[in-house]
Amino acid sequence: MMWRVTIAALIVFACIAFRHVLERDPVTHILVQLPLLILSGALLVPPNTVLAYSWSKGGYALLIIAVTGIAFWMLPRSIDSALSSDLVEVAKFVSLPLFIGVPLKLGWASAHPILRGFLKAEALSMLGVMAFLYTHAPVRICNSYLVSDQERLGYGFLIVIFFVSLLWVTPLFAPRNAFRNSSARTSSVPA
Amino acid sequence: MLMSTPRNHANAVKLTMLLAGVVLILMMAFGLVMRAAQGGLFELDPAFFYRLMTAHGAGMVGVAALTGAAVLWYFVSRYVDLIEGVYWAFLGLFLLGVVLILGSIFVGGYGGAWTFLFPLPAISGGAWEASAAVAFILGYISIGVGFLLFYLEVGRKIVAAYGGIGRALAWPLAFGGAQPDDAPPPTIVAAMATTVFNTIGIVVGATVLVSSLVNLLVPGFAVDALLAKNMIYFFGHVFINASIYMAVIAVYEIVPEYTGKPWKTTRPFALAWTAILLFVMAVYPHHLLQDTVMPAWALVMGQIVSYLSGIPLLVVTAFALCVYLRGSNIRWDLASALLVLGVAGWSVGSAPAIIDGMISVNKLMHNTQWVPGHFHIYLILGEVAMAFGFMAWLVKDARASEFTGIDRLGLGIYLLGGTGFTLMFLISGALSVPRRWAVHAEEWFLQDRIATGFGALVVLGALIFVALYAKGLSARRES
Repeated sequence: MMWRVTIAALIVFACIAFRHVLERDPVTHILVQLPLLILSGALLVPPNTVLAYSWSKGGYALLIIAVTGIAFWMLPRSIDSALSSDLVEVAKFVSLPLFIGVPLKLGWASAHPILRGFLKAEALSMLGVMAFLYTHAPVRICNSYLVSDQERLGYGFLIVIFFVSLLWVTPLFAPRNAFRNSSARTSSVPA
Repeated sequence: MLMSTPRNHANAVKLTMLLAGVVLILMMAFGLVMRAAQGGLFELDPAFFYRLMTAHGAGMVGVAALTGAAVLWYFVSRYVDLIEGVYWAFLGLFLLGVVLILGSIFVGGYGGAWTFLFPLPAISGGAWEASAAVAFILGYISIGVGFLLFYLEVGRKIVAAYGGIGRALAWPLAFGGAQPDDAPPPTIVAAMATTVFNTIGIVVGATVLVSSLVNLLVPGFAVDALLAKNMIYFFGHVFINASIYMAVIAVYEIVPEYTGKPWKTTRPFALAWTAILLFVMAVYPHHLLQDTVMPAWALVMGQIVSYLSGIPLLVVTAFALCVYLRGSNIRWDLASALLVLGVAGWSVGSAPAIIDGMISVNKLMHNTQWVPGHFHIYLILGEVAMAFGFMAWLVKDARASEFTGIDRLGLGIYLLGGTGFTLMFLISGALSVPRRWAVHAEEWFLQDRIATGFGALVVLGALIFVALYAKGLSARRES
């Protein structure tokens, strides 16, 4: 556990220490810094931790918190505010690990496989929407970044979709828990 | 060896097919009204025509997909344990989507066609408010979410039971040294392939739907029209094709009951389904052959893959069906006749589709009635025939006689009507009669009126099939 907390702290520290470098470019700000902060929160949760409370059953409440947090930080307005307001910047460094990373990891562990699959499919769709919007927006979406920057960010989302799709689809060709025909029906009685 | 479909799944599917039968008749009636109005048999406000056309298009695509999904669920549940609640969630979200779509059309006045091509939903010239288009798109999203849940459940169970996507697609047989006896049954191969390509299609569709929503709510946020069209046609082509590829599972499962020869997963069958998986996703540019700003390679790919797409269908499914039927002493009844008709119609429909997929032909034919001609063959004589065949088979044991007079009458009327109706589309297309026109020139009235007559026969045939199905369900309940 100690090493996990240490790595999480190091990630947050690195994000803070290099924040000017990372935030100078929207690609590194949104596609590097924000995911790293979420990862730091997820590292705080030990593997296979499942909360045994009635409110956390199925992971719905925790995942709603995480998805709400993601939705908030998807808004260009939020990114702009983080750059122009120290208070929002601090909120970003606190909320991404604690209100997205931690509940996402905890909720994921107890979520039904269909819910996980649904969230993965939705994540790919929304990454596509972000790519679409950032590459085709007729105006500057963030006051802090140029139109050319946001276009690069849009293409960055496309690259992320490609690699995330590979990451999620590849295991389906040889699932670890696969046991051939084990859950297939075997007896015979034609309808 | 198979197990019977669990009763709870069977009952859910039977209800679905009853709902689908009613919707099919309603959608066919909409089509009949449009053809009659084009033929000048009565006046129809053009704005109302386009609403009907939108409802007809969205409704037929939706109900074709619904019946295909019901067939898939019914037979896949014989091989793996599926969660019944997922099916009800799918059906509930589907019906919610239908309510939103019908509301957007008949209350909100939306008439931008089922393809919702940018910028038409947003720029209606005052025909409908943006809110109507928003409701239409939310309806699609609801249906898409329902299908996503459906495929997640089917996909995860097949992947777990058969050891991954590749094994479920019979790749060890197709590309390795595995024996046919070790391969998954045809139903699983078809279900896996459909799950993969339609899930990808739905994810792409969700992206363009949400982007269109943003455009409707914030009009300044323009969408790239060409990119949107590519994504819409990728999604739309994959989705409507998936409905046929799901429905053909009924042929794989039911026809062997009549022929006594089990439908096996062979090496050509496995290779064909892998080819289908790729071709269905690669062929969509043949819908964009008139978009001259498209990259040339994409259009050439669309034409070449159009040629290739016919091979798995014609060589494997249609040819295999002929082999299974030959010398089998098949006991013909309504179910077997409609299922065989479905494969025949699907195969015949591929010919005008491939012709229209040629760039040189498409330049002339794309905006003519040739195009609805080919996809009406696919649907009336293909997918919908398979769906009616499946319905007839579901209530087969409640019927007194195997092939009654009313069965033969319904089949004859439907076949005659479907053949005549679709031929009139093709003939009209060859005569350069444009498609999607609410008002036709008097010179085109003859074809329109003949088509209306044949269309009435199709509706009558469908009415007979659905009435027989409802009667069969009722008889089963009483027994």
